[in-house]
Order: sequence, then structure tokens, then C-alpha cells
Amino acid sequence: MGASPSTATRPTPGGLSWLLRAVVLIVLAAAVIAPVTAAFAGQASSGQLFFYPCTSCHPVNMVPGPGGVEHPSKPLPNGMQGHKIVLEAHDKLGSATSDACLVCHDDPSRNPGKLKLIDGTLIDITGDISLVCYRCHEAKYHEFRQGTHGNHKESCVAAGCHDPHTPNYLYAGPVKPFVGVGFQFKGVGQARVPFKPLMAPPLPPPTVNPTWFLIAVAVGLLAFLGLLIRLVGPVVVERLKR
Amino acid sequence: MAMTEPTTPQPGIKRFIKIDWNVGALKAASPRYWSWVGMLVIMTTLGVLAWVVVLTTGGNAMAQRDNFTWGMWFADYMFYVGLAAGGLVVYASVHLFGAEQFRPLSRLAVLMAGLLTMIALLGDLTDLVRVWRIFWFVVTPNISAIFVYTGSAAGFYMVLCFVDLWILVTGVGGEKLAFRMTLIALPVAIYLHTTTAFVLALNKSRELWNSAVMVPIFLTSAVASGVALLLICAYVLQHYHVLEFKKSMFRSLATLLATVIITDLFLLVVEIATVYWPTAAKAGHTLRFSEFMTGPYAVQFLPVLILGVIAFSLLAGRKTRHIPAIQITASALYVLAIFFKRYTLMSMGFAIGPLGQTQAPYIPSLVEALIAIGLLSMGMLFFTLAVKILPLRVPEEEHAEAGAWELAEATGEPVVEPGVAL
Repeated sequence: MGASPSTATRPTPGGLSWLLRAVVLIVLAAAVIAPVTAAFAGQASSGQLFFYPCTSCHPVNMVPGPGGVEHPSKPLPNGMQGHKIVLEAHDKLGSATSDACLVCHDDPSRNPGKLKLIDGTLIDITGDISLVCYRCHEAKYHEFRQGTHGNHKESCVAAGCHDPHTPNYLYAGPVKPFVGVGFQFKGVGQARVPFKPLMAPPLPPPTVNPTWFLIAVAVGLLAFLGLLIRLVGPVVVERLKR
Repeated sequence: MAMTEPTTPQPGIKRFIKIDWNVGALKAASPRYWSWVGMLVIMTTLGVLAWVVVLTTGGNAMAQRDNFTWGMWFADYMFYVGLAAGGLVVYASVHLFGAEQFRPLSRLAVLMAGLLTMIALLGDLTDLVRVWRIFWFVVTPNISAIFVYTGSAAGFYMVLCFVDLWILVTGVGGEKLAFRMTLIALPVAIYLHTTTAFVLALNKSRELWNSAVMVPIFLTSAVASGVALLLICAYVLQHYHVLEFKKSMFRSLATLLATVIITDLFLLVVEIATVYWPTAAKAGHTLRFSEFMTGPYAVQFLPVLILGVIAFSLLAGRKTRHIPAIQITASALYVLAIFFKRYTLMSMGFAIGPLGQTQAPYIPSLVEALIAIGLLSMGMLFFTLAVKILPLRVPEEEHAEAGAWELAEATGEPVVEPGVAL
């Protein structure tokens, strides 16, 4: 049984050419993915690895101490000074070397992996951080909860939009089909300005009125005017005579 | 409630669906009456032509655009639905609370309520552009959309008003059925006005609409403007000897109007105070409202306050309140104020969009304006014809029967046949 002419004449791909094609593809893919991986390993605006879970390096757990008072299992070695966080927008809270950290974070002698809520209770840093934002940004928090701000993201920070330390930096997810943690960009300028509406949209196109319609309206209005004169004319004339 | 059959055969009166239609009154009508009818027919025709333009050229004949998605039709819808409330309040007060002084107004009030709801609904249809889409609205309603509820409520309310008018005019079922109809109509009317207010109040992304006080303020505005329009119409019909009313009826109506106006103004001031209260003010909220206090939309909103305060001031004095000219002026001012209010209310959702973009004030296009005027003219045309041929006078025996029913003391209005030459 003979092979068909088409299959008989097709050249069998050689092992070397197949390898070459694979290498070229891998190189191209690496060239494209490289910036993304750089973003993954890149620095956030704060100079640190952005959105890196604190607890992976600082597994601070509260353990019961003498007299029933809890204390951290492993206190931070340098307090809050271990990181050089840049508070570009949140510098209003104070400098990074002052008590600014303590506005949101629990005391370093205890567990900075815990964040403070408005009523003084603490939540885990992996919990709903938007509740921390609520302390100062009440209106925005409500808009966020309603979905009118934040496009129904699950969180304000981390996997949401804002860098918690410099909230004017925004997080953007990786572009498909690449996976990763995305990248940051400066979404809001440094200058603090009051709320200002966006620029008005372009003017809408003019409305369309067909010519026949305009003529009909003109004729109709003339007829209306004639009847109006007929209706009120005698009354006016009579009053003028008086 | 007795049937309104003519005691003696009269030329020109035709009986149809148990109603004595005084067609002969049209033949005997004066040239001035027909001039008025002609004017209304012309404006109605122009409205129909404008609608044809929309049907043939599409929505670009309207000034409504992506950022101002609702326009004149919605302002009119709120306005007319609100005006219809006045009729029901007066009608309900007769049958539920025994306010016999308003009984002569009952048929007129129900007629106005039905016609106003009708033109409100027709305005909705014209906005659909492809009007046959109403079929899908009925067949596959989106039950999470509040428009389904207000639209269906308006349709039901309109039918209810016309059935009610038929019952009142024919006397079928007597006072007992009229009373039961009121028990149905009153909750339906409240439901209609509540759902209409909910169309706005449930929009959480439109800050100035998203207010809990929207429903009560909508109801008070509706009742105030409705009673004011009823008062004006009653005076006009009395002037042309179509109907006759006692002075005490107008006094009661004016007192009721003054009470509702001050309640309405109070709620509006409360809303403004909530927005601007220093410890509660939110930047976005006050900025949006400032567009209506000092910005380009102030020409729409400030007349609401100015006209409203003037109208109340006119009616506030006990001595001046009972002067017909004062009553008519105050009523006209408040109807106008509520029109501005409805127009402003429509604009409040769009003046600054959810993204913070400021919009130029919406001005209806020629087509939209003519559709609105056409619908109003059509309503007035039906009203003009109805007051001529329908027996809107409440006969004397009806008062007597009402007295026997122990709802209230009979007042004894003189029986005059309908259709007196205008």
C-alpha cells in the first residue's frame, strides 16, 4: 500500500531545526516576560518589596506572659526602624521615624502585624485593611463599600489598588496572559488639592430636526397664533373700549 | 348615590356605558370654545409630529445624551404623577374622612388624576424611541428595576381613576362602592408616589438623589401641587359656570394647601441643612449641591425656594388666604415651583456624574419641548371636552345619600345639568 503523494513529498522536520525554533521561542518569551518578572521583584514606591506579607519575615505571635498579659513571641529587633518606608502621601501622619507608624500599626513591642481600628481593636494585617482606612477616609470608605469607588475590589490596598504607605501609588494587575503580582504606578500627584471635579466631557452633538418638521412647526405656530388672537382679541378690544 | 339619568329627555344627551354624554353641549358651544379647542389640537398635532421625528430619526432628535440620560420626559413624569395626587387627596378625604365640603370636587378631581397619569405614562412611551419595546417591559420585567414598579403602578392607578370616575358618574354601587374604591385607590396612589421617588432615591451613585427624605418630600410636593392645580381648575370651571362651589370649599382647600406647602418647604430646608451642616457636610455632596445654589443650575433651583416662600406667604395670612385672587396666585406660583423642582430633581442626578465630571445644564431640544407641550395640550384637550360633555356636577341626592350613609352631613348643592355653554 503506497503513501499518498502529499505525504510522500513532505519533508520530515529535522531534530536540529526543531531545537532552534524552540530556543528562539524561549528567548522571545523570556524577553517579554523579563519586565514582568522585574516588576515582581521590583521595589515599591516605599523602596521595599511592595505588598510583601510582613508576617513571612516577622512571625510575631502573641503568647500569654506572666500575670496573663500577652507579649510577642519574638519582638522586632529594631522596632519600626528596620524598614525605610517612604510616607509620600501619608507623611501627614508624621515622619517614618516618628510615631507615624503607630497611627496604624500596633506597638513594635507587641505585634506590628496587627493594625488598629477606629475603636482601638486590632485586626490582622492580612484581614480587611479597608477598615483601617475608614479611620480617616470615611467618605471614601463608604463609596468603596458601595462600589462607586474602587470598582468592587475586595480591598483598598495590597490586592486592591493603593499602596498602604503611599496611597497615591496604585497597583495594577499583570496583563494577561502573564501572571505575577503586577506593578505600581503613581496615580495621584504629590500636591494636595481639594476635591475637584474632572474635566467636562466633550460637548454632545447637535440635535437633528428635519426640514419638513421645522416647516410644520412654523405653520402650526402661525395657526395657533391666529386662533389665540381670535380667542383673546375680542376681550382685549372690549377692555380697550372701556 | 343615585344614577345621573336626566329627569326629562333632553336633546343632545346620549347614553353610553351608563353615562349621559351631553354631546349637544358641543354643538351649542361658543366660537371661543372652539378656538381654544383648535389651539389645543394644533399643539397636540405638533407633539405627535415631534414624536414621529423621534420614531424616524432616533434618539439624536433629543438633547438627552450619555451623561444626561433622562430629560424632559422624566421631569414631566414626576410632575404629572405628583399633580395627580391632589385629586386623590380630595377624593379620599370625602369618602374616608367625611370632608363633605370637597364632595362637589370629587368627580373633577378623579378626572384630573386619571388624565394627568395618562399623559405622564405617554411621556414615558415617547422616551422609549422604539415604543414597541414596551412589550418586553411587560413580558419580561426586570423585577430588580424600580421602574417596573412605578410604571405598572402608574398604569394601574390610571385605570383605577377612570373606573372610579365611571362609578362616581353613574352611581353604580352607590356610596358603598365609592368608599371601597377609595380604600383601593389611596394605597395605590401612595405606592405610585413612593416608587416614583424610589426611582431616584435608590440610585446610590447619584448623591443628591440618594436621600431617605426623597419619598416624604415627593409626597408633600405632589399633594401640594395637586391641590393647587385642583383649586385653579375649580375656579376656572366656576368662572365659566360649568361647576359651582361654595366659598367655604375654597377656604378649606386654601387652608389645606397652605399646610402642605409649609410641610413641603420644611422638608426641603431640612435636606439642604443636612447637606451643608458643618459637622456633617461631605465635600462631594456640598459641591454637587452648590451647583444648584450658586452654580449654573441655580436658575432651576432657586425659583423653587423663592416661588414656594411667596406662595406660602400669600396663604399664611388668615385675612388674605380667603381672597380668590390670592388663592389663585399662590396656587399658580406653587404649581410652577413644583415644576421647577421636578426639573431640578431630574438634573440633580446628572449635574456632576458619578466620576465627578461636571455637565452643562440640560436644555430640551425642540422635539422634546414639543412632545412635552403636545402631551400637555392633549391632556388639556381631553379635559376641555370632558367638562363639556360629562356630568361632573354632583347631584343633590348624592349628598343626601351620603348623609344617610352617615359619612358626613349633606350640604345640598343645587342640581344643574352639565354642559352649560362655556
